[in-house]
Amino acid sequence: MISTNTIVQSLLSGVLEGGNYALYCLGLAFVFGIMRIINMAHGEFVVLGGYVAYWLLVMWGVNPLLSLPLAAAIAGGTALVVYRVFLQRIRTTAELNTLILTFGIGIFLANLFLQFWSADLRSIDVDWAQRPLSLGGIYISLGEIAAFVLSLLCVLGLHAFLLKTKTGKAIRVTAIDRDAAALSGIDVERVDLLAFCIGGLLAGLAGPLLGMLSHLNPGIGIGVTIKAFILTVLAGIGSIPGLIAAGMILGVGEAMTVTFINSSYRELFGFGLFLVILLIRPSGLFGRRV
Amino acid sequence: MKHPGAFRLSEESAAALVFAAVLLLPVAISFNPYYLSIFISALILGAVSIAWNLLAGVCGQVSFGHAGFFGIGAYVSAILVMKAGWNPYPAMAVAGLAGVAGGLLIGVPAFRLRGPYFALAILGFAEVMKLLALNLTELTEGSQGIFNVPPLPAFQAGGVVVDFYISRTSNYYFAAALMLIVYLAAYLLRRSNTGLAMFAVHGDEETAAGIGVPVLRTKIAALSVSAFSTALMGAFYTHYVHFLSPDTAFDGSWSVMPIVGSLFGGMGTLIGPGVGSLVITGLDEFVFKRFFETGHKLFFGLLLAVVIVWAPLGLLGKKVRKIPHGENE
Repeated sequence: MISTNTIVQSLLSGVLEGGNYALYCLGLAFVFGIMRIINMAHGEFVVLGGYVAYWLLVMWGVNPLLSLPLAAAIAGGTALVVYRVFLQRIRTTAELNTLILTFGIGIFLANLFLQFWSADLRSIDVDWAQRPLSLGGIYISLGEIAAFVLSLLCVLGLHAFLLKTKTGKAIRVTAIDRDAAALSGIDVERVDLLAFCIGGLLAGLAGPLLGMLSHLNPGIGIGVTIKAFILTVLAGIGSIPGLIAAGMILGVGEAMTVTFINSSYRELFGFGLFLVILLIRPSGLFGRRV
Repeated sequence: MKHPGAFRLSEESAAALVFAAVLLLPVAISFNPYYLSIFISALILGAVSIAWNLLAGVCGQVSFGHAGFFGIGAYVSAILVMKAGWNPYPAMAVAGLAGVAGGLLIGVPAFRLRGPYFALAILGFAEVMKLLALNLTELTEGSQGIFNVPPLPAFQAGGVVVDFYISRTSNYYFAAALMLIVYLAAYLLRRSNTGLAMFAVHGDEETAAGIGVPVLRTKIAALSVSAFSTALMGAFYTHYVHFLSPDTAFDGSWSVMPIVGSLFGGMGTLIGPGVGSLVITGLDEFVFKRFFETGHKLFFGLLLAVVIVWAPLGLLGKKVRKIPHGENE
């Protein structure tokens, strides 16, 4: 018999995990919302950020939270190179091309990680992150809370950036009507470059948290990309705050699947949810109708 | 585009040349079993690439999850033969149909939307299928895999016994025949009215719908033929290697390599992906693996990026004329 305590525990960890999902997928959702490009290498950017924090910790004992800026900068820099060398040349051609291009970049990065850092599972182990906090028989770790707070800060920060700053407004206008934006003097090419790099940056931020709460290995990127896309669709394209709610729905659903069915079927929940959303409400929970 | 003096083949003559080369190749390598085994994999990949390209190159729907169909085909055929005592030949056909069923599960919800929905849905589908193969242990033996999958039964053709258990040569020619069948199916479909509709959907979905093309049905048709062919090759693969596990049958390579082969060979043609697959298998085996033993696939990622940006027509794109559409040209 499953006790109430277990259910509350799994609800809570689902909510916390779901908050982190919002950060894992933020970069992909942002780039898709603004540029209508799916960055198939998104998951590899996340993993890259994770490896940066991992190696800093292993070699110099750097606290993973302090590695965040460097992880973000390296993933963002990779996005910059990808955009300048490849993407900008085919930005406006058929969608199929950008999909295949970024897919290729993802394979390249994943195999590069594999070649240099082997297929070993690596996790960013720090003592304080695993220290449990007890709330009347329910346990959560400090790492989970830190990641959750950070994730919310990033989502709200990005939302505020888009609403309040001049650059953010330029990005939004370009997303709504590219031609009109260009006519009113916005350098739309620059906006594209900026949006793609911000996407890479956000992915890089997610990596250390993923490595801290779970583990890294060269092959997990594609799974992150899939999950990020499911959440983007569930939230509704262009809805940044909606990602938090969508993440929590997925997180709780997965936690319930683990508690009531079987932990090996955890990933099935997200996929089933995705098919249902496509069938009954393709514009997502908070999106405009498509 | 005119290239004065440039030598250009028709699709048909290019295909005839390719299949003639495939026919003679074993003689050229004097039936060396090691090389034959490499080229058998190349032919399996070639057929999957032709099937992938029917969906992507002709109909414009890119799939990142053909490994899902390949694995379904391999498992269904092996299970029917080993647990239900079927003859492998009909089991292979049913395996193909199982692939179609998988395609419908994804195609019906995802094809109603334009954009990248299908590409990502099918990627998730391939992951989920692998997960099921790992966990439905009563049927699939889980992660340890199924051993001793029986070979295709021997048959007599013109007084010669064709045996598949030992002979690499007969497996080679059977794989070549399957690739030819997949090619002919793609070719005939491309020449039909449905093929014309696929081409219209590739060009501009809204316009196609506007002139009365049944967009959803056309995409589903392309996906069904593609999924059937891919699952069929998966079924052949399992009877050829006598073993399958979630990691081999649903290996991401079966999703990635058809894309590389198609791009390399030329997505605008039908035979190009077949040629591209033969070339990249050779490159992988004899060049890339010597440089990077574990991460050799990074070359394919790079190749995809470079080809799509700088040479989107591929290897054969400029050398082979597009197929004319009935009375239109």
